[in-house]
Amino acid sequence: MASITYPQSAEAPATPGTLKLVQRERAMIGAHIITALIALLFGIFMGPFQTFHRSPTFVQYFPTIPVFTFYYQAVTVHGVMNALFFTTFFIVGFCYFVTERSLQRPIKSVPMGWAAFASMALGLVLMLFTILTSPQQSAVLYTFYPPMIAPALFYIGLVLLALGSWLASANIFLTYRDWKREHRNERVPLAVFAILVNFIVWCVATVGVALEIVFMLLPASLGILKVTDPQLARTLFWFFGHPLVYFWLLPAYVSWYTMLPRQAGGKLFSEPLARVAFVMFLLFAVPVGVHHQFSDPGISASSKGVQTLLTLVVSIPSFMTAFNVGAALENAARNRGAKTLFDWPFKQKWNDPVVAAQLAGMLLFVAGGFSGLINASAQLNATIHNTSWVPAHFHQTLGGAVMLTYIGILYWLLPAIRGRALFSKRAALAQVFTWLIGMTLFGLAMGEAGLQGVPRRALTSQAPYLTPAGAFWMDVTAISGVILLISSILLFVNVIGTLFFSRQPMPEGEVPIETVSGDRSSPLWLERWGIWLGVIGVLLLIAYGPVVAEVLDFQEGWNIMRFIPTSNAPMP
Amino acid sequence: MEINKLERYWLMAVGITLGAFVAATIVAVTVFGIRLPAPVERIDPQRLDQTIFANPGVRKIADNRYEAVIVARSWAFDAGPEAGNPAVLRFPRGSQVTFYVTSKDVMHGFQIEKHTLNLELVPGQVARATANFNRPGTYHIVCNHYCGAGHQVMYGTIVVE
Ligand code: HEM
Ligand SMILES: [Cu+2]
Ligand SMILES: [Cu+2]
Repeated sequence: MASITYPQSAEAPATPGTLKLVQRERAMIGAHIITALIALLFGIFMGPFQTFHRSPTFVQYFPTIPVFTFYYQAVTVHGVMNALFFTTFFIVGFCYFVTERSLQRPIKSVPMGWAAFASMALGLVLMLFTILTSPQQSAVLYTFYPPMIAPALFYIGLVLLALGSWLASANIFLTYRDWKREHRNERVPLAVFAILVNFIVWCVATVGVALEIVFMLLPASLGILKVTDPQLARTLFWFFGHPLVYFWLLPAYVSWYTMLPRQAGGKLFSEPLARVAFVMFLLFAVPVGVHHQFSDPGISASSKGVQTLLTLVVSIPSFMTAFNVGAALENAARNRGAKTLFDWPFKQKWNDPVVAAQLAGMLLFVAGGFSGLINASAQLNATIHNTSWVPAHFHQTLGGAVMLTYIGILYWLLPAIRGRALFSKRAALAQVFTWLIGMTLFGLAMGEAGLQGVPRRALTSQAPYLTPAGAFWMDVTAISGVILLISSILLFVNVIGTLFFSRQPMPEGEVPIETVSGDRSSPLWLERWGIWLGVIGVLLLIAYGPVVAEVLDFQEGWNIMRFIPTSNAPMP
Repeated sequence: MEINKLERYWLMAVGITLGAFVAATIVAVTVFGIRLPAPVERIDPQRLDQTIFANPGVRKIADNRYEAVIVARSWAFDAGPEAGNPAVLRFPRGSQVTFYVTSKDVMHGFQIEKHTLNLELVPGQVARATANFNRPGTYHIVCNHYCGAGHQVMYGTIVVE
């Protein structure tokens, strides 16, 4: 058992497990979560209107669809706000809270926490300002590939977001170091173990995109550099872009592994194996980014092959998670009286929005996982690369599993931050099920359209090449957009209702966070972070060494003439 | 560390599935000869006139074998004056066509409907791929990589006769 040490005793919660937040927690966690929701507010509502703009029938009957006029500006807002800003703010806020409560100590430095927040928040403001005031030039989407170059503020916004997130990571690492000094022979609680993995992956991965922005894109945008290398930039971007996916996913796994079993009324099946799964994520999350570049001309087939194999390896910990969490849910159902082989999925707390949201997310994740394996196999990838199959896939994983799990977390964390009950449990349940139905239909329709060759990131309603089948599936996507619009409204009704209109006191409750240190059967060497960093270095050399050599064309000798001129995003 | 029996079975099943994936990949490459794009050549997109891209178009190189040289730019595929704009390429059925494509400005994409031909066009890089056209019909070439405000009207057509 960890001894309960809350150094600033005046600020310690009355009982450490209680869901009541002390003032310091409310301010810091609340600031992050609410800023995340502001970013989401901008991002999420673009989604349904994108589906309307993409549908030929919809555009025919409603020639003026409100919300935005320039489609690619909307897609930029949607991607940047949802995928980059909402997620980062939410993850940092949630992980601070879990770390503090799990280790029973405040984060190492509160001022540093606020500095990190200020940096990220300024990044958010600059980014929104740029995209909203120069819609054409900043419509470079959330992948911002050169030679298209956005205004400098776009990149500065991203740099500030990254800087803040690095400070936040450092804060969490230092908190852990302090804890470890006092608990030499204990295992860090599983939730914090996973959080450490998550932020190490993040710090390694962001190096790629930081190099890209600081040395290529920002100077080009400021006019200092007149040339760029798109193949190199893409490679640096995806060095970051794939691990980014795990940065989103692992906090959801924190909830599934360490909170959901308790919320659902069961027990985790195997804690040691959970740790092994997280170590596998740590090692294999980064050296697989090239699987996003199967169709790139500048990378050899053998390098692509190596990363295909590593990608298959990184699916193993997700299969382990499916088993472990599945077993915990079965255990929960047995405790609730499930008897047969097949009744346990139904004997879950489907009427509790916190649990239902996460279970619904898992259902979408199963579909997303299988479509992901198809993406990962290089040949099948040639059929669906850059088609609407790809958004279909990541709206099941990111928009489905991750998002619904974050929503499930929100449904207990937001009331705790506000100190009032959730505004409407019924609205929350309706939100979860409309999201599940909407995303299922979205995945089907966009996936089917992708197989028909309908591209992603395109205003398909205006596309002369759209086939009747493609048009049909775009229309179906718009129907899913209607359902998801309703769901998004319900989500924000509850957010605003809880923050401003809820009159019920918060129900007495416990934080669903494990505060005791980890299971004795987990090997202590799993916490030898130095070794893991070394292994990551070796894997990166193997997986990325040849890629970098190919992209820079070292065989031919270094030749600056190969770098090509930049250009602004083309105007209509 | 102890691993539960059931979980061990599960992990074995996962291993077998992934092994099957690996095997399928190897079969696809060795037996069916499926190939991914690989580096061909680097060029200066501003000096395309000094490369094969100076004269885009379709050339017959042998019986039923063609070479198509195409330059992508915002927002059209330039396959020579004969092909026009939007480009229309015609091949007799049973042709095997090798495409050489590059971009002159920003990133573009090159995907042929109902064929597994899908290339990223990265400025400064030559993309090469081969497709067989055995079924008569009309197939679109779609730019599937976002390239700015006119992205959705960037396409071409292949007619197999
Ligand atoms: C209200 C529900 C949502 C709907 C209806 C929706 C719809 C869409 C559509 C139609 C696209 C494709 C645009 C195109 O390729 O032309 C898209 C892209 C995307 N969505 Fe969503 N979305 C929703 C929620 C979300 C959420 C919650 C997230 C993440 C947290 C998300 C992240 C993304 C990302 C990263 C892209 C890629 C943008 C790009 O290609 O640049 N979406 N969404
Ligand atoms: Cu990936
Ligand atoms: Cu294009």
